[in-house]
Amino acid sequence: MHPMLRHPLRFGREHRFTFEHASQYLDDDLDEAGRERVEHHARLCPKCHELLAALHRTISALRELGTGPGEPGDSDVADGVIARLRAGR
Amino acid sequence: MTSTLAPPRVRQDAYVGVIEDQELVAGAQAGDEAAFEELVRRHADRLHAVVRRLVDTRHEAEDVTQEAFLRAWRAIGRFKGDATFSTWLYRIGVNEAHRRRERRPGPQRETSLEEQLVEPREPRPGPALVAQQRALHAALERAIAELRPDLRTPLVLRDIQGLTTAQAAAVMELGEAAFKSRLHRARLTVRAAVAGYLPEAPDV
Repeated sequence: MHPMLRHPLRFGREHRFTFEHASQYLDDDLDEAGRERVEHHARLCPKCHELLAALHRTISALRELGTGPGEPGDSDVADGVIARLRAGR
Repeated sequence: MTSTLAPPRVRQDAYVGVIEDQELVAGAQAGDEAAFEELVRRHADRLHAVVRRLVDTRHEAEDVTQEAFLRAWRAIGRFKGDATFSTWLYRIGVNEAHRRRERRPGPQRETSLEEQLVEPREPRPGPALVAQQRALHAALERAIAELRPDLRTPLVLRDIQGLTTAQAAAVMELGEAAFKSRLHRARLTVRAAVAGYLPEAPDV
């Protein structure tokens, strides 16, 4: 019998825990007990497994945005600030 | 207005790699304009990258960046060093960006939990890797732009700019638990919006 049917209340509780702590798991920000709860549940629950995988890919893609080339003219930002500071003094 | 600033007392690159921010702050607090300008050179690009995603246009981002440094210069005497200079500066910049958004007419868009879990709104792009990557980045930018400011800021600071949770929470003057909660909601929302663009990947 599927574990969800054997222990529906417990499964639901672990499902909520995993959903709520998925980011902290991926940021390695859970204690060992929390990590084990997430990993154990994700092995049993395809939805949570997919959630973790998709969030992981989303975060990786967001980090790429931060390391990509800036827009043309970005190098002038400091010059613009300094010119305005000097004008305002 | 005509500049009345005296010429810098040191060469523009004299501070590079030699003096910590802390010492430049002390110099600026003593009225050394060249020291503050070195802080501008060190931090302007990164502050601009943060606020660029908190306001609508590049022009507005430049204006917010300039305004943030002007405010920082005027308030530098009150900076106590409880946080790093960059955290203090980002806080000024983020607050200025939020002030501008609040002044703008029109309702902020709310995102329900159900909406965070829906299927992607746009079809999967073509198979070419470069095109797929470009489409993913464009979808991410759209999803970020649609986030509420209180969710967008944690995502920009933590995931795009790479600040630590503690640094980003300090910029937003939030406790770490509240910050993590907002960051998670933001990630869920963005993940739902770009789901059709994400590459297949091995298990986490």
